[in-house]
Order: sequence, then structure tokens, then C-alpha cells
Amino acid sequence: MTASSPSPSTARGPRGWCAEWLAGWNAFWFTPADPLPLAVIRICTGALLAWSAFVWLLDAPAFFGGDGWLRPADVWRMNDQPWQWSWYFCISTAAAARLLTAGLLVAAVCLTLGLATPLAALVSLAGLVSAANRTPLTTFGLDDTLGMLLVPLVVGPAGAVLSLDALLGRRAPQPSVRANIALRLLQVHLCVVYFFSGCGKLLGASWWEGTALWGAIANVQYRTLDLTGLARHPLVVNALTLATLWWEVGYAALVWPRLTRPLVLAMAAPVHLGIGLAMGMMEFGLAMLVANLAFIPADAYRAVFLRSSSTSERLA
Amino acid sequence: MPPAAPTYWSPAARVAASLLIACYLAAVVLPPLAGPPPASELASRLLQPLRPLVGAVYLGHGYRFFAPDPGPGHSIRWTVERADGMRLSGSLPDRSADWPRLLYHRRFMIAEKIAPLVPPADAPAEVRRGARADWLPLAKGVAGQLLERHAGERVELALVEHYLPAPEELTAVEKGPMDDIVTPLGAYARAGEGRGP
Repeated sequence: MTASSPSPSTARGPRGWCAEWLAGWNAFWFTPADPLPLAVIRICTGALLAWSAFVWLLDAPAFFGGDGWLRPADVWRMNDQPWQWSWYFCISTAAAARLLTAGLLVAAVCLTLGLATPLAALVSLAGLVSAANRTPLTTFGLDDTLGMLLVPLVVGPAGAVLSLDALLGRRAPQPSVRANIALRLLQVHLCVVYFFSGCGKLLGASWWEGTALWGAIANVQYRTLDLTGLARHPLVVNALTLATLWWEVGYAALVWPRLTRPLVLAMAAPVHLGIGLAMGMMEFGLAMLVANLAFIPADAYRAVFLRSSSTSERLA
Repeated sequence: MPPAAPTYWSPAARVAASLLIACYLAAVVLPPLAGPPPASELASRLLQPLRPLVGAVYLGHGYRFFAPDPGPGHSIRWTVERADGMRLSGSLPDRSADWPRLLYHRRFMIAEKIAPLVPPADAPAEVRRGARADWLPLAKGVAGQLLERHAGERVELALVEHYLPAPEELTAVEKGPMDDIVTPLGAYARAGEGRGP
């Protein structure tokens, strides 16, 4: 038997443990961080939201009008009223529905460009929440994910770099605590999403049996890519199902250690692009991939976006 | 332009921010614990004071994507009758007409969200009667919108559950029946009152 030396916190007792925990909390949330990853997430999120708003605009009266798919009087049946507010509750005409949706589209475009970013982020979040709360009959994972992405963009300095704001203001990009809090909120939220998504799947026999992916492949309503040929390769379906399940279940634990993070993030691409291509939910797949960008360190973005100081000056 | 030096927060600012962060994290974690079923009663009670925050920033999700098991897809089959007797029929969603794909998917969600509320046609009459209060108002909304966009006077709706074949059914030499399950959702007139199935 070999004697192991006690860790400093154990040696100092409960007070030492608490002090160490507090220091860890402070370091995790309050260490200033480069706003560049947040800016990249802002651009991608803004573009996805702009596309979503454009699609809503194509049929805005049916989604948000008084005679829409879900009548205003029935919204309470599908969400938690009065807390799930919506600016669409104040209107009933088709023109007003179009106008408010166009407002969301403009805000999303401004967010993408980084123009009046704090206001654009706030209006984008308000617009998404309003739309999703008015028409819960037509929402799905894309909307949940966009909401998850927009809150950190409101919290952090999302327009500090790679933005028109930065270009016009000529302010130097500054590592900031707000940028760190925003990225941490997104990272933790994403872990929660994967954890519960994985745990929910553990309730289903088909996920344990390795046949669940077949249920998605054979569903004609979702299908955009015919993979029914996999019916002849049940072990492939089995492997894909189990890989998806255990990747989701393990994500929250394995994405933090440096050793496993690249593997976990690399797996996100085939999972989400696969869902996007095969099941016609490309926007949802892309939104989840954008959320995964929160785990990529700023240096990696710097290497791509700000290769030289001159480029840096142009973008900042 | 060189990067500026980072700024750090005072202890008071960090305490205030920590409280807000803890509140937000609770609003993120508690909803999936509180629902959909099976769900925790404790989480549901803890969630009560956070409902304004959860509702305000759209956090009330269960995140049970394709869980517990991916099931069959659904659509709503409709037949609209105009005042001149002309009849139009179609499906919600409509793969050939609903474009771009995101528009199709949003309309697809209408059928997917109504479907779990509708018991199968062979369910006990008492169960079917009890469930009507849940799905009928939603079906009325769908009917109203269909009448509006097709200038109809009357519309009939039916929920279609699309058959989900097992792999061996597709690879079998002799294929068995793969019939969709159709559940009538009633007929609705422009004036309003729905006549159930």
C-alpha cells in the first residue's frame, strides 16, 4: 500500500474546500475572456434567426394573426400563460403580423452584421420569444436552440469584434468578464440540453436496442435523404444509434477535459449534419453546431479570422 | 489596434452576478426535470417561483428530442368545400407545396403536436370523449385557417398516422400491408361550431 498525500483542500478541512470551490467558481465565471468566439456565434445565430424570420414572414398571418393555425384564445393550452408573453398578443391583423415579423427580420440582420448589436440582440431575443410563444403549435428544436444562443448574445459584448459597431467605433477588442459569462452560460446550457436529451432517450427501448435511428430513417414525413437501404445493414443502424445515444449522454462530462473535448466536438458535426441532411432539419442541426462553437478556444478563431495584425485592425 | 487590458470585477459585482447566474441556471435545469412525464414533483414545485423568468426568456423545454422512441410521422388530411360546391383536398404539411423546407417543418409540427392528444379510433368511447376537450380547440384553429386560405365554407379533417415499417418489412420479398391509420377529426363550418367524429 502506498501512502498518498492529502490534497490541500482536504488538509485544510471544510473551510479549505469551500475556499477552493469559491476560487474555482470565480475562475470559471469571472476570468476575462476574448469576445471573438461570441462574435462568431453572433454572426451564425443572427443568420439563422434571419432565415427563420424570413420563413415566418412568408406566412406570417397564419402563424401569428388572429385567424392563425392556433387561435390567440387557445395559446394558453400549449404554454405557460401569462408568463410566456408575446408582442403578437397585442395584434390581430395580417398586416400587423407581417410588420412585427419584419421587425424581427431586421433585428436579426443587424445582429448578424453587428450593427447596434446590444439593441439588435435584445430585439432578436424578444422577437424569437414572441414568435415562439404565440405559435407553440409550430415550434421545434430550432427555436429552443436559438433561444439558448440569443440569451448569451444579450449578456455578452457580442459586437465587440467582427462587427460594424467595432468598425465604426474603432475601439480595441478587450477581454471581458461579460464575454466569459456569456460563453459559460452557453456551454453549461448546451450540456444541460445534451444531458436531458440523452437521458430522455434512455427511457426508450429502441435506443437501448440500437434500432431507434431506423425510426427516424423510415419516417417519411421527416425524410429528405432516403437511407432505407440501411434496412439490410442492421448492425450499422445499431452502431449509429448507440453512438448517438452515448455521445449525448456523455457530452456534459466529456466536453470539459482537454483530452476528450476534440473528440466530443468532432462527433457533433456528423450527428447534427446527419440530422440536417437526412431528416430535413438543417437549420436545427446548424443551430446546435453553432452552440458547440462556444467550446472552441479563441485562439482557434483568431487563427482563422484575424491572421495578421492588419486584418485584425480591419475587423476590429 | 492592440488589444486593451482586461478588466476585472469587484467582489460585490461578482456576488450579484453569481446570484443572477445561479437563478438562470436553475431556470435552465429545472424545466426538463419538471416535464414532460416522467417528471419530478420536487422540480415542479421548485420551478414555480422561476416561471416568470422561464417564460420571459423561453426556457421551458424538456429537451427530449426523439425520445423516448422515435415514432411514426403524422399529417392532417383536409377537404375544403366552397360555397359553389367545389371541393379541394390536401395535406398538412404538403411536401410538394410547402417550401422552403423550414416552412414545411413548421407546418409538420402542427400535425405532430395535435397527434399525441388524439386517442386512436379504437380507444374506449370514454377516453375519446375525454380527449376531445384537448384536441378539438386546436383542430378548430386549423380548420379556421384552412377555410380562410382556401375561401371555403366547410372543411373535414382527419389525422393520418403514417405507417412506420420495420427493416425486415422493407427487405421482405412479399410485402405485407403498410396501411396508414386515419382518425377523423370532424367537420367544421366557417361560422364556427365543429361537429366531432
